[in-house]
Amino acid sequence: MKLQEYQGKQLFREYGIPVPEGKVAATAQEAAGAVKVLGGSAAVKAQVPVGGRGKAGLIKLVDSEAEAGTVAGSLLGAHHEGFTVMKLLVEEKMEIDMELFLSLVVDGRGKIVMLFSPSGGMEIETVAELEPEKMFSLEIDPCALPPLYRLRPFLRQGGLRGKILNELANVAFKLLKMFFDKDLLVAEINPLAVLSDGRVVAGDAKVEMDDNALYRQQWQETQEFDNPLEMEARNIGVTYYRLEGDIGIIASGAGLAMCTMDLLAEAGHNPANFLETGGGITEELMYRAVKLVCSHEKVRGLLVNLYGGVNPIEKGAAGIVRAINEMSPRPPLVVKALGNKQEECWRVLEEGGIPVVSSVRTEVAARRLVELMDGN
Amino acid sequence: MSIFVKEGLKAVVSGITGRIGSVQARWMLDYGTDLVAGVTPGRGGEEICGLPVYDDVYEAVEKHGANAAVLFVSALFLRDAVLEAVDAGVELIVAITEHVPVHDVLKMKRQAEIAGAWLIGPNTPGIISPGIGKLGIMPGNLFKPGRIGIISRSGTLSYEIAGVLNEAGFGQSTMVGMGGDPVVGTSMAKILSEFEADEHTDAVVVIGEIGGSAEEEAASYVREMTKPVVAYLAGRTAPTGRRMGHAGAITGKGGFGTVESKAAAFKSAGTPVAGRPSEVPGLLQALTGK
Repeated sequence: MKLQEYQGKQLFREYGIPVPEGKVAATAQEAAGAVKVLGGSAAVKAQVPVGGRGKAGLIKLVDSEAEAGTVAGSLLGAHHEGFTVMKLLVEEKMEIDMELFLSLVVDGRGKIVMLFSPSGGMEIETVAELEPEKMFSLEIDPCALPPLYRLRPFLRQGGLRGKILNELANVAFKLLKMFFDKDLLVAEINPLAVLSDGRVVAGDAKVEMDDNALYRQQWQETQEFDNPLEMEARNIGVTYYRLEGDIGIIASGAGLAMCTMDLLAEAGHNPANFLETGGGITEELMYRAVKLVCSHEKVRGLLVNLYGGVNPIEKGAAGIVRAINEMSPRPPLVVKALGNKQEECWRVLEEGGIPVVSSVRTEVAARRLVELMDGN
Repeated sequence: MSIFVKEGLKAVVSGITGRIGSVQARWMLDYGTDLVAGVTPGRGGEEICGLPVYDDVYEAVEKHGANAAVLFVSALFLRDAVLEAVDAGVELIVAITEHVPVHDVLKMKRQAEIAGAWLIGPNTPGIISPGIGKLGIMPGNLFKPGRIGIISRSGTLSYEIAGVLNEAGFGQSTMVGMGGDPVVGTSMAKILSEFEADEHTDAVVVIGEIGGSAEEEAASYVREMTKPVVAYLAGRTAPTGRRMGHAGAITGKGGFGTVESKAAAFKSAGTPVAGRPSEVPGLLQALTGK
């Protein structure tokens, strides 16, 4: 789960990582009020859990309460990368001498890596690509936090010394603690700002928490979904993404779902969604999943692709039949299902009047469905 | 014989008393797997499917010489169950569980590495050597004995590809579900090296998908192999930036982790990439002349 900037900074505060003075605002009035408290000028930053806000004009500097109100009014409700701006962070303006980059991440190889560059800021990606000698990395043992003294020589490679190096090392150590305590996948501070008054302050917070660990983090789920279908999917317990094609998909595995999408595209149709059930199929789950997929207004046909290893596909079949029986007219639908209890699963579907494909080839099911849809 | 699931295997079922563990233990036994005991803390002294249940893995190792474990333990408790098995000296640990916190997997993986134990998974259907046994939940009726090895990030796609291989007369030596999470216990490359050394495997099918760099790393190793490899990659049409179910399956901006980049890596290693699962047997035929 990607945290919004103000949530990341809340965590930073909890761990003693310095952050700018700031207040969250949900209305133009609150924004104006916050600017007043900050002395009349501030940065007004749209809160969405994705990057590119600066370049998208979603971070603005204001010099009066009135200006804050106007800016806030235009930022609230704006759309960026699939999210709607519901909150703003109003922060003190800072006199920045240096912008550093500090991050912790679980990388593609499954290693925890600390990254540091003295050339932080908006162009960090360019630095990483064109000046790799300015990006320093340190592998972190997942079973043991490195001591603070190991971080100083690592960070010193960036050319900093004395008080700044010491402050930087302290921030890095606290970030490490937070990374482990909070089950984080990403904890990035860019820029980590060195101010003209000597303070070292986190200018931004990009924090991502592991969805699989939310149960033990007692983190209040505050992610706003633009999409009610995706919200419903979360309630059902399936992974669902809305797409814009005309064939709804339900698969019992992510790989199978992606393969199904690829094969439908080859059959000349686009998927209306991605949906995978994982190992938790029940009659109720499949019933709700079918209803969910078919509630997308562009869906003209449904392809269900199941393998029963741990999944009771015979129970899933009953859920599909119940859902389809409640629909009028019944959408063109094909179920491909194989595995444990497959014969029972096929029987339940056939008794429910639902076409069954027992081939091992998904493209056979795709072709059959397209024929049914064309026949309609 | 085969890799991992072979003669001399003595496996423990952790979480055997659970709803899933008890059913799967029965099906593994029916398939002919050498299970020796079950473990569920607090249920020592009971018997499930004719197997003695112990409170801890150490006793199962002591009393039965257990050298492998398949775990049906909830994500909340999986980490310690794996660390216990590693500590007890178990050499092969198959963690079926899905939704395991990444930090737990990182710790499990590190400790297994230090101990020299194989950790397969999590979020995997397990390992099957058709005709010999299975440590996992894959339906036995979907696989047939033969000489093709399979490594897969996706359980369901391993069933699909085993299916088309069966139709073409290519049975499987071993199928290893390496797991669908972004961090898994054992890399694709390492499992490939096991197949390379396995006298019962003639060729390997790699089933990959978008996200991460497992395939790129595997392609690098393929150049050193003598045995032919064929790949299938899912997710060519998946939109970028969305985590497609498998926490590992996400493509980033700039082409990172895409099917194109993985296919390119395989092709430059001389590994043909199938456009759909049903094309795999044809590519194998061309490479093996069978």
